[in-house]
Amino acid sequence: MADLAVRLASLELRNPLLSASGTFGHGLEMQYLSPPERLGGLVSKTVSLLPRPGNKNPRIFETEAGFLNSIGLENRGIESYLASTLPEVATADCVIFTNIGGEREADFVELARILDERDEVDALELNLSCPNVQGGKLPFGTDPKTAESVLREVRKVTKKPLFAKLSPNVTRISDMARAVEAGGADGVTAVNTLLGMAVDWRKRAWRLATKQGGYSGVGIKPVALRCAWECAQAVDIPVIGCGGIRSAEDVLEYLAVGCTAVQVGTASFSDPALLGRLAGEVSELLDAAGIDSVCELIDCMERPLPASV
Amino acid sequence: MILAVRPPAAFPPLRAARFFMLRRLDSLSPEIPRPFSLYRQVGDELQFLIKVMGRGTRALAATQPGESLRLIGPLGNGWPTLTPGSVPWVMLGGGIGSAPFFELIRQARAGMDGGAPVPADQLTFLYGGAHAGFLYDIEAFEALGVRVVACTDDGSRGFRGNVLQALEAEWDAGRLPREVRLLACGPERMLEATGKLAAARGLECWLSLESLMGCGVGICNGCPVATRPDGPLGAWTNAKCCVEGPVFEGRAIDLEAPV
Ligand SMILES: Cc1cc2nc3c(=O)[nH]c(=O)nc-3n(C[C@H](O)[C@H](O)[C@H](O)COP(=O)(O)OP(=O)(O)OC[C@H]3O[C@@H](n4cnc5c(N)ncnc54)[C@H](O)[C@@H]3O)c2cc1C
Ligand SMILES: Cc1cc2nc3c(=O)[nH]c(=O)nc-3n(C[C@H](O)[C@H](O)[C@H](O)COP(=O)(O)O)c2cc1C
Ligand code: FES
Repeated sequence: MADLAVRLASLELRNPLLSASGTFGHGLEMQYLSPPERLGGLVSKTVSLLPRPGNKNPRIFETEAGFLNSIGLENRGIESYLASTLPEVATADCVIFTNIGGEREADFVELARILDERDEVDALELNLSCPNVQGGKLPFGTDPKTAESVLREVRKVTKKPLFAKLSPNVTRISDMARAVEAGGADGVTAVNTLLGMAVDWRKRAWRLATKQGGYSGVGIKPVALRCAWECAQAVDIPVIGCGGIRSAEDVLEYLAVGCTAVQVGTASFSDPALLGRLAGEVSELLDAAGIDSVCELIDCMERPLPASV
Repeated sequence: MILAVRPPAAFPPLRAARFFMLRRLDSLSPEIPRPFSLYRQVGDELQFLIKVMGRGTRALAATQPGESLRLIGPLGNGWPTLTPGSVPWVMLGGGIGSAPFFELIRQARAGMDGGAPVPADQLTFLYGGAHAGFLYDIEAFEALGVRVVACTDDGSRGFRGNVLQALEAEWDAGRLPREVRLLACGPERMLEATGKLAAARGLECWLSLESLMGCGVGICNGCPVATRPDGPLGAWTNAKCCVEGPVFEGRAIDLEAPV
């Protein structure tokens, strides 16, 4: 059995498989279908300071090769998260990431300050990239200077590992990765959803109430893989790859281009038990390829092939 | 179309109006499974009554005997427990919205949750559709031994009009007392009208909603239903149809609110 453990900044993960924010519930909703002890970590849905009711219906639409959503970060706010969700999540036997989001730098700082006091939280992921708030305007935090500043200020209030989740909807994602590294991030998550749209021309109807939404799933994989690779090339901190992953093959492709871990999002809607099975499937692929540890594969594209291949 | 699925392990008897997410394992099906009410449970077999709408249902309709499917469930809450009493139950099914009523009638006739059976004369099923072709499997419902009123917009079968007009007609003819308990499943406009009628007349009412679903298991937030702030679901602005529903008490939700 291949060794799947990876080190992600200061975190020890049993395997490189994480849930993607907003696609696996807030807490332990999936504990029976994909038990946490089979995952490297759980990432919460984005928590904001104040409750957010989210966007209007329809919020979801499946396209030919992916999924559009405009949930609008529906969540009951940090107070409710601390009181009801976190105590439950803390019982999970895996690393716990809390994903935080806001519309101002001060929101992120305040959230990080509050969560810093909670030992149950192992790491923070900063959502600098949700396309579904602020009525479709470019999300807060897609400008390198703003992103660097958010990281710098958040760094001052917490010692927890910080992961900056980046948007693919920028001209050069490597600039964003370098900016958050300079600001003090311990890692980068690449990527959030691509801005997308779908219409019904017969009915002259938008498929999403917000017209635009976030595009995810199988169709975004080539774009997301390129983004993750670009980030890995640009920075020395670890990169978590995310976008269109639905098989063990996909996982290993992301590792090969330089990711230390990956997140699975939309594929959990198709098969909520997938995440719980993936570790076993990754392990089988590695065994079949004669690779002892998943770490050997990280950033291997330009290395000579091992003699066994 | 009726799709019969045999899960790897038999389920215990499942409450009517609980549902499953279904898709083929190949790429004929869209990636995201689609929700379907349990229609009938026969031995260890689950049966679904499916109307072909788009890609997902078309793919399921093309399934050949012996093929394997992805089946996620049972999900959701199901109908409330039907008890016998002085207030009869009236079920309103619009088109394919009839699916969750078949097991309900059977279960009520046998007694739900170990309770007393509901006598046949306390159960009425108003089954509506645009024309006779939309009254799927109506003979099976008629064979259940309760009163089934077919209603069609064009009068091609039974009463000419929709299910709510049929309910008025039943009242006017004295076939039903003014106080009834309503259960409805069907197109959104029909549910909205049923909710309104129940509120206006002070009738108990449960609605089974067919919202869009991204996951069916509570992890995507794609299926919000607007709640009433003073209702039994609490102060949060919306409920998840997949885990808090699909059956909601009429007074808990606000179908007219633009969620
Ligand atoms: C709890 C629940 C139980 C259901 N039970 C049944 C059942 O027993 N039998 C049955 O045939 N159907 C049932 N449905 C509806 C069924 O899920 C949809 O018809 C199906 O998802 C359509 O998928 P599609 O890919 O074929 O169509 P799509 O290509 O996704 O859509 C085709 C058309 O159908 C409309 N549509 C899509 N989803 C829904 C929906 N959920 N409700 C109404 N219109 C929709 C779309 O707007 C579009 O116009 C149920 C839905 C829910 C939520
Ligand atoms: C329904 C839905 C809700 C999401 N909610 C969030 C969220 O709250 N915060 C966040 O950072 N990302 C959110 N995302 C983005 C995912 O975490 C992920 O970055 C993206 O979907 C790409 O991965 P995938 O192709 O595997 O789904 C959401 C995605 C979907 C589909
Ligand atoms: S369908 Fe995903 S939360 Fe209800």
